[in-house]
Amino acid sequence: MIKNVFVILMVFTVLIGCVQKEILDDVNLESGSAYDYVGGKIKGTALVPIYLPNKEVQNKTFSASSNLSRDFLRDVQRQSSDPLVTGSLKVVLFGESLAKENGILDLIDSFQRDPSIGAGLYLATAKGEAKDILEGQYGKRGNAIYLSNLIRHNMKNKDIPKTNLHRFLFDFNQLGKTPYLPELRKISKDQIEISGISFFRYGHVVDTIPASKMFYFKLLVDKYSRGTLKVTHKKERAAIESIRSKYKMQLSTKKPFTVNVKLKVNAILNEYSGKRVTPKDIKEIEKILQKNIEKECTLLTNRFQKKNIDPVGYGHFVKSKTRKFNFEKWKTDYPHLKVNIKANVMITESGVIE
Amino acid sequence: MEQLVPEKAKISPFLVFFLVHTMQFGIGVLGYQRIIAMTAGYDAWISVILAGLSIHIIVWMMYKILETTEGDIITAQSFVFGNKIGKLLSVPFVIYFLLIADTILRTYIEVIQVWMFQDMSTFWYSLAFCVLAIYIIFGGFRTVTGVAFFGVVLPAYLLFSFFFTIPYADIKNLQPIFDHSIKDLVMASYQMSLTYLGYEILLFFYPYIKDPQKSKKWAHLGVLFTTFLYTSLTLLTFAYFSEGQLQKSIWATLTMWKIVEMPFVERFEYIGIANWNIVILPNFCIALWCASRILKRVTKIKQKHGVILTSLIVLITINLFKSRVQINTLIDYTGKIAFYINYGYIPLLFFLVLIVKKVKKK
Amino acid sequence: MGWFSKKHEQQVDRESLEQYLKRSKDYKKVSYTNQPTNNRFTFSFISTLIDESILQNNALPYLLEKPFEKIEDLKKLVAMTDVQISDDPSVIEQKLFNGYALLTLESDQKHFAFLAVQKEIVRSVTTPEVEFSVIGPKEAFVESIDQNVNLIRKRLPVKELISEELTIGSLSKTKVSILYLDGIVDPENVKTVIERLKNIDFDAITDSSYIVQLICDNKNSPFPQLLDSERPDRVTAILAEGKIAIFVDGSPHALITPTTLVEFFGSFEDYFLNWMLSSFFRLIRLFAVAFSILITPVYVATLSYHYELIPKDLMNTLVTSRREIPLPPILEALFLELTIELLREAGARLPTKVGQTIGIVGGIVIGTASVEAGLTSNVLLIIVALAALASFTTPVYKMGNAIRLLRFPFLFFAELWGLLGIVFCFCLLMTHLLRLTSLNRPFLEPIYPPRVTDLKDSLIRLPFSKQSMRPQTLRTQNPVRFSPPGKKSKKSDIDE
Repeated sequence: MIKNVFVILMVFTVLIGCVQKEILDDVNLESGSAYDYVGGKIKGTALVPIYLPNKEVQNKTFSASSNLSRDFLRDVQRQSSDPLVTGSLKVVLFGESLAKENGILDLIDSFQRDPSIGAGLYLATAKGEAKDILEGQYGKRGNAIYLSNLIRHNMKNKDIPKTNLHRFLFDFNQLGKTPYLPELRKISKDQIEISGISFFRYGHVVDTIPASKMFYFKLLVDKYSRGTLKVTHKKERAAIESIRSKYKMQLSTKKPFTVNVKLKVNAILNEYSGKRVTPKDIKEIEKILQKNIEKECTLLTNRFQKKNIDPVGYGHFVKSKTRKFNFEKWKTDYPHLKVNIKANVMITESGVIE
Repeated sequence: MEQLVPEKAKISPFLVFFLVHTMQFGIGVLGYQRIIAMTAGYDAWISVILAGLSIHIIVWMMYKILETTEGDIITAQSFVFGNKIGKLLSVPFVIYFLLIADTILRTYIEVIQVWMFQDMSTFWYSLAFCVLAIYIIFGGFRTVTGVAFFGVVLPAYLLFSFFFTIPYADIKNLQPIFDHSIKDLVMASYQMSLTYLGYEILLFFYPYIKDPQKSKKWAHLGVLFTTFLYTSLTLLTFAYFSEGQLQKSIWATLTMWKIVEMPFVERFEYIGIANWNIVILPNFCIALWCASRILKRVTKIKQKHGVILTSLIVLITINLFKSRVQINTLIDYTGKIAFYINYGYIPLLFFLVLIVKKVKKK
Repeated sequence: MGWFSKKHEQQVDRESLEQYLKRSKDYKKVSYTNQPTNNRFTFSFISTLIDESILQNNALPYLLEKPFEKIEDLKKLVAMTDVQISDDPSVIEQKLFNGYALLTLESDQKHFAFLAVQKEIVRSVTTPEVEFSVIGPKEAFVESIDQNVNLIRKRLPVKELISEELTIGSLSKTKVSILYLDGIVDPENVKTVIERLKNIDFDAITDSSYIVQLICDNKNSPFPQLLDSERPDRVTAILAEGKIAIFVDGSPHALITPTTLVEFFGSFEDYFLNWMLSSFFRLIRLFAVAFSILITPVYVATLSYHYELIPKDLMNTLVTSRREIPLPPILEALFLELTIELLREAGARLPTKVGQTIGIVGGIVIGTASVEAGLTSNVLLIIVALAALASFTTPVYKMGNAIRLLRFPFLFFAELWGLLGIVFCFCLLMTHLLRLTSLNRPFLEPIYPPRVTDLKDSLIRLPFSKQSMRPQTLRTQNPVRFSPPGKKSKKSDIDE
């Protein structure tokens, strides 16, 4: 008797307890989005891939303006044939004017609040209008996949320091650290490049470094950096690829705060324009590299101090070494922080020829 | 008066490990980190260890009580206060376990409603869950233990998913160690102890253990294992989130899963949440089982009917909690009651039992 | 033959019995006269059940020529071993229908003799078909219970192998043997089995599968709770473990009890292979079962609810394959699953050669056609075909059927609550398995209740040297199978 009641109850549950479905081919997947600041309003653009029968992907964009950051999605629904869903968002771009003038805090908050958005989402700023970048045509697999792969592989193997939504939030919410994002630039209709790194203070971009300085910055923030460097040695040019780097920070004195940064780079020589490289040459190249790194990194640090941003996280580091650390006081201390950078470069291999 | 548990229904002593551990490790895991970090900052992991160790004392006391009176808590209460009052004092435990069952299920449904299905019906899911729980409890205590066993073993693979957060871990978050006052640490220990609760079920299923003496070691190991898991998870969480970021994450554990990305699964938290069903199922079942068991011991209601009655109550009351604020109030109150029972009533009962034993000897 | 009389207590009148028997054309009654004494005697028998040549060669010549007076003399006279003398008319019916010839003397109406002259129609021992193995013995049971017990006795030539007999079925009077090794088996189990068999109230039992369903612990379970095997070697090995085998006359499958879930996933071939290989195969099978049950529901759940989970590189494939399909994922999956079931069912009902054609027609023609017609997506077609394939890896046919059925509740729950539904359904299944018992022994043993020592031969199989103990769960009287090889006193070094 009881058993039958249970079976009936189960069947009832099955019939009534249904939840809203999001069938894969009956939704429009927002795979990328761009935000611009136009005429005092935030203009949002959603990128939706349209999968063609020949497995190519067409890029379709929807745009709408609104005052509330993510609110544009509701307006965009009126243009879309199927409900627009955000769960497979891969990349988000912020236009230059938005990042500089309005700030991106509200947007970041909405990304954090939406449970369907992954923490591995790539964020980037755009040089110029962000919508413009999304509207290009890069590769056959859709712009979102192209952009996210572009950022991913450059972070993994090249000069771009690692960032994604989680790292951005981590830095943003960390006392004594400020976030940074890569900056994208559209070259032509089907070409795009990473042009630099933008640095944020309270959600506003306050500084941008060019691509040539990215490697030095990556050395300071990533545990293991890979990237390429070019040096001139006795009128010959050499290309060096870092295969492994390590950095170590030390707090040497507290009054005034002095931080020693030791950088250790293992590299290989990729290209040399001279006839041959002797061990002596290599030693000299190493020296030049060390000098370059020390000089550039110090310049970067000074630049950050002047702009009152701390993407390297000196503040966070000093806090971890100081009991009862006072961040209020740190705000005034930071510009006077002394940073000594020591680099140690070792070129381990020079390819298969001498 | 003593109800003997048939040999057939008894469980091996080492299964106590799973029962104790599963009850402690449930819905609280998904978001306890934020609360303790609010009080003791990133030193709170010390509180996690402290609170975990304090449980061993309570478990030791519980075993002393149970060994002296050779029965469950109702026997112990009757031993101290006499038959009538002893039974009367057990009635609040029914309400207590119903509260626990409500808390577990409602919190889980809230997680589902926030993370997976906004329109998931609280009532229908609870109904399905209750039917499942009744089906389990009708199988006897061995089946309940079996569910507890699988509730620990099967979702164990989820622990590996946390390794994905290691590349993002920043040890500097945790430094400097001991940067908070002892008072903060103790306060956080108190908050953490609420997450740890659940081991008091030992007082109710003790007669079901085949060789109770041998189970002692396993109960302590279970608690130790829980402490170990909570501590490691706390350390990982603290290294993964910056302090400000953690303050915003209600379900820090779930948020951590967001970073997991595998070649065949882009997002892991959905799998994690669905699997958590297996984790909380034994908790809910044990709570219902305890409630119906006390009912049976006190009022002679058949446990079969008791289970249906209690699950009906759960089913009705669970619909009363609608918003997050209400749910949080529920969690707070359940936690507080549980705290007073474990850290107040049990030591009291312990001393009373000792005294009464001395008196009776004379 | 004491079992029998309990159901036919009433004294049968011999005359009316004969009248009744005469209605059947194959009932014969022949009378002869003994030449030396002039004593008349009569044979009654069912001609279709007996071998008349035995009667003519081994009985008649002596009965006609040698003198005899009393019925007791017959035993010495005829060249047969099974001659029974009785004065109880109630057994006549049963004896006649068991293939005995009834011999009555005119001089002595009260006593009569039964001569065993059964006609044995036995299929010769063939190779196993359901539990085929590439290596190892190639004998399989046949329909004759004596032949089957013989196959076991040959492999276990010890007096401890006890064979008890029962007759079950009010009409079929099926002979059932219970085999076990005395001194090893838990007597409690034997008692339970015999009790349950005795309690069976059924008219015609034509196969061991009837017994399975009649004596199992939970009749409302899709899982078979008694292991059936057609391999004498497997039954022998399991008997030696301390379990009980039930043979049913007319069935080429022996039943083994108590059993556990993991046993259904072990093929007997596992014991012929190195332990690493067999462990690997067992794990593969386990994976196949999980895959077979879960993959279609996961497809339905992911595509209906959790598009977030789909890797971005797979998204294109999935979306393009489903673009033109009018059905929602659940109907699409049901359509394909039912097609596969149809094909399987049609293939099983048809003669082998036609069955193969159906397989090809179904697999290739229907599959491709339905993809091209846009009824199903090719991704799902692959998934369903793989799932069907995986379900056939279970070595025990009945378990394979149960597993195919399990997919459907999972599908419904996946449609209802996505991944959460799958996990919920899994919890239901887990509870069902936890509550299931085989002969009052937990069905999930050694996983739950966890018995670490029994794990040596469950999901994996450790080398034989580690298998020195019988499974704990059986509570055998003698838990030691063999004394394990003692550790060498000195650890040997390289080249020593």
